[in-house]
Amino acid sequence: MKNLTLTAACIAALMTAGTSAVGQERGGVMTYGRYADSLFLDPVLNDANVDIWILSNMYDTLLLPSADGKSVEPGLASEWSVADDAMSVTLTLRDGIMFSDGSPITVEDVIWSLDRARNPDNGIWNFLLASVDTVTAPDDKTIMLTLKQPDPAIVAALTVFNSAIMPQKAFEESEGETMAEKAENFGTHPIGSGAFVLESWDRGATMKLVRNEYYWADGEDGEKLPYLDGVTFEVIPDDATRILRLQSGELDGAELIPFARVAELQSDPSINMELFPSTRVQYITMNVREDIAGEDNPLSDPNVREAMNYAANKQAIIQTVTFGVGKPMTTFMSSATPLATDNGPLYPYDLEKAKGLMAESEYPDGFTTSILVLAGNQDEIGIATALQQMWSQIGINMEIQQVDNATRTEQYREGLFKMRVAAWTNDIADPGQITSYFAYSPTIDALHSGWKSEEVDELYEASQSEVDEAKRGEQYARIQEIFNTTGPTVPLYETPYPVALQEGVHGFVQIPLGNNIFRGAWLED
Amino acid sequence: MPEFIARRLLQLIPTLIFILVVVFALVRLLPGDPASAILGDRAIDADVERINRELGLDKPIPVQFWVFVKSFATGNLGNSITLKLPVSQLIADRLPITMLLTFMAAVISLLMAVPLAFVAALKRDRPPDSIIRGGFQVGLSMPVFYVGLILLTIFGAKLRWFPVGGYGDGFLDHVYHLFLPAVTLALSLSAILMRNLRAAIIGVLDADYVSFAQSKGLATRLILYRHILRNALISTLALFGLSIGTLLGGAVITETVFAIPGAGRLMVDSIYGRDYPVVQGLTVALAVLVSVTFLLTDLLQAWLDPRMTK
Repeated sequence: MKNLTLTAACIAALMTAGTSAVGQERGGVMTYGRYADSLFLDPVLNDANVDIWILSNMYDTLLLPSADGKSVEPGLASEWSVADDAMSVTLTLRDGIMFSDGSPITVEDVIWSLDRARNPDNGIWNFLLASVDTVTAPDDKTIMLTLKQPDPAIVAALTVFNSAIMPQKAFEESEGETMAEKAENFGTHPIGSGAFVLESWDRGATMKLVRNEYYWADGEDGEKLPYLDGVTFEVIPDDATRILRLQSGELDGAELIPFARVAELQSDPSINMELFPSTRVQYITMNVREDIAGEDNPLSDPNVREAMNYAANKQAIIQTVTFGVGKPMTTFMSSATPLATDNGPLYPYDLEKAKGLMAESEYPDGFTTSILVLAGNQDEIGIATALQQMWSQIGINMEIQQVDNATRTEQYREGLFKMRVAAWTNDIADPGQITSYFAYSPTIDALHSGWKSEEVDELYEASQSEVDEAKRGEQYARIQEIFNTTGPTVPLYETPYPVALQEGVHGFVQIPLGNNIFRGAWLED
Repeated sequence: MPEFIARRLLQLIPTLIFILVVVFALVRLLPGDPASAILGDRAIDADVERINRELGLDKPIPVQFWVFVKSFATGNLGNSITLKLPVSQLIADRLPITMLLTFMAAVISLLMAVPLAFVAALKRDRPPDSIIRGGFQVGLSMPVFYVGLILLTIFGAKLRWFPVGGYGDGFLDHVYHLFLPAVTLALSLSAILMRNLRAAIIGVLDADYVSFAQSKGLATRLILYRHILRNALISTLALFGLSIGTLLGGAVITETVFAIPGAGRLMVDSIYGRDYPVVQGLTVALAVLVSVTFLLTDLLQAWLDPRMTK
């Protein structure tokens, strides 16, 4: 925790005005190594992290997430307020804001963008704005959102990539018969309002961004952001090659450093090995249905699940799989999620207790089951292998099945899997999204596990329109208590985002939601 | 000869039809569908249905097959599901990169294999032969990605003679960037070619017509070219043609290690993404490429040994 706080403090120091010890230098192009290329640069219709994580550099939102991912800062809107009855939100647009082509950002653009983002036919993110009833403009500087019901997450939703403000006219003038075709063409040369503009994109190899001359925010030197002239993304799928290119000086930064290499890079004086706090949690999902495809399912027995949780030595897995980088979880959501509870690590390793629970269960002599892991994924294979050995101590014989992602997703969705290794990252600074998928049964049957708690479902529905922060906190505390003690998961650990930067790179941050933010980045000469 | 070429070209047609059917069936037999791949763990039923509808995957299989065949007949291969770009454009962008890489690897492997095979064969069972064969044995037994990383570390990161991966800008820069990956790819192929060619040369060296040529007093160089190389190359050429398919397969790994945006990586990404149109289009394109290579090696063999056209 200390490390996280420290890192957060460092980031804050670099991001916020007046507190920085070093003077920012302007100019230069930052070259950043990514593990995969982006697919589709449309804020509303995309569905992959490779897009989400860089979109905010090109498309600005009305409000921005803070560097610690827990609160909200002004963006294209300089002020915002939620009405006393919590049934509307009013935002004031900044003066003189422009798109990257120099055209003014109008209230019409804002209304059009938000209407497009919340249209249920558009993409998979519209649920984030589902509470919005109308978007109107009382005058040419003010935007008003009226709500169908109070929504405690609505302000956070306006920081999420899908609510980015896009130029209506330029979008509609794009080639294509349908809106989807227009989006595909617009996405190849987008016009946005972020700190950078797409200059060229050589698919699968290189994406070049240049500074947006019309970006609104001021740097600490009083001139307009960004400090950099541009950002170049190089796609280097192989971890070892990506690190080699960083070490040879061809890259200024490289993302997703394997945990096995973190210690080595930490000891390299020319490299600054960052571990940015994230909302990523790693866990095992268990199918808890009474029977799966006609067979009895021992995982439906709560005693069995509790025994497996106690028999899983999380600390050992953190050591072997994350080389000590991960940390134990205190609840099913990451500690960087608002309203996450912390009553100490969940299920501290206790083999005797686990054996006792197994003896009390319907399967005192153990049973045979299986787990799905992503083929070739060293972390998942490592986790499954460790658990296989740990659970054999309580009489469980677990077969490891390596499959590819699409295969696993299909078995998962159809509820035919027994167990799987899984990970989750939040897209919004609110506990609602993760809880909806993990615990609230109507969304996807609680991670397709078949687990259901009437009380959790009721509490979740109530919390979705509860604007009293304290009351909502109580509701979430109870939801977490129920899920953590009886739920369908084995929580393993949470991990930061490992990013390696050259020593002379400053001000870059990957926020807990995953977004890579280059607007405050600068290069030392 | 013209008749031979025509016959071989006609044989391509049933091959291509067979490939079309197999490719269509294979991608659909894979467990998981594009919606699962696109949406991943967060897929909810409504989104899956919407995507299947958008992609025409809710239609019966025969209808989908008809659409697929029609798309090939009209040359419009459709759009990539994940990249939203026309498949024909993707193939035109990515396949030449892999072709250049494969071509460079083929040339390098021949440049390594042919002279060394001669030396090894002429110095049979003496130290040069043992050294050459031993060296190639090591090359053959090392995994491609490992060789690639070693070359990158030594010649890229340490000596700075070559870039550490990537593809560069402009033709000469591309060739420069592709040199290390091509050497990596060429190593195992040249080992196989060298062994085959060495054995063939030894076979020819013992043949009566070579002894006869020597007794006629022909110059050694002329004997090497005219009689030995030409006859020994025939079987090696067949092996070389067959290896092009293996080289294209090896390019998948090489392109990942060296961060080259070629067709191999596109294929792997598309299979993981269940991007049916790209997998289908690219497989057919690669199949045509391999078939044409086979055809060319057949022609070359026929030219070297006219008996083959019979």
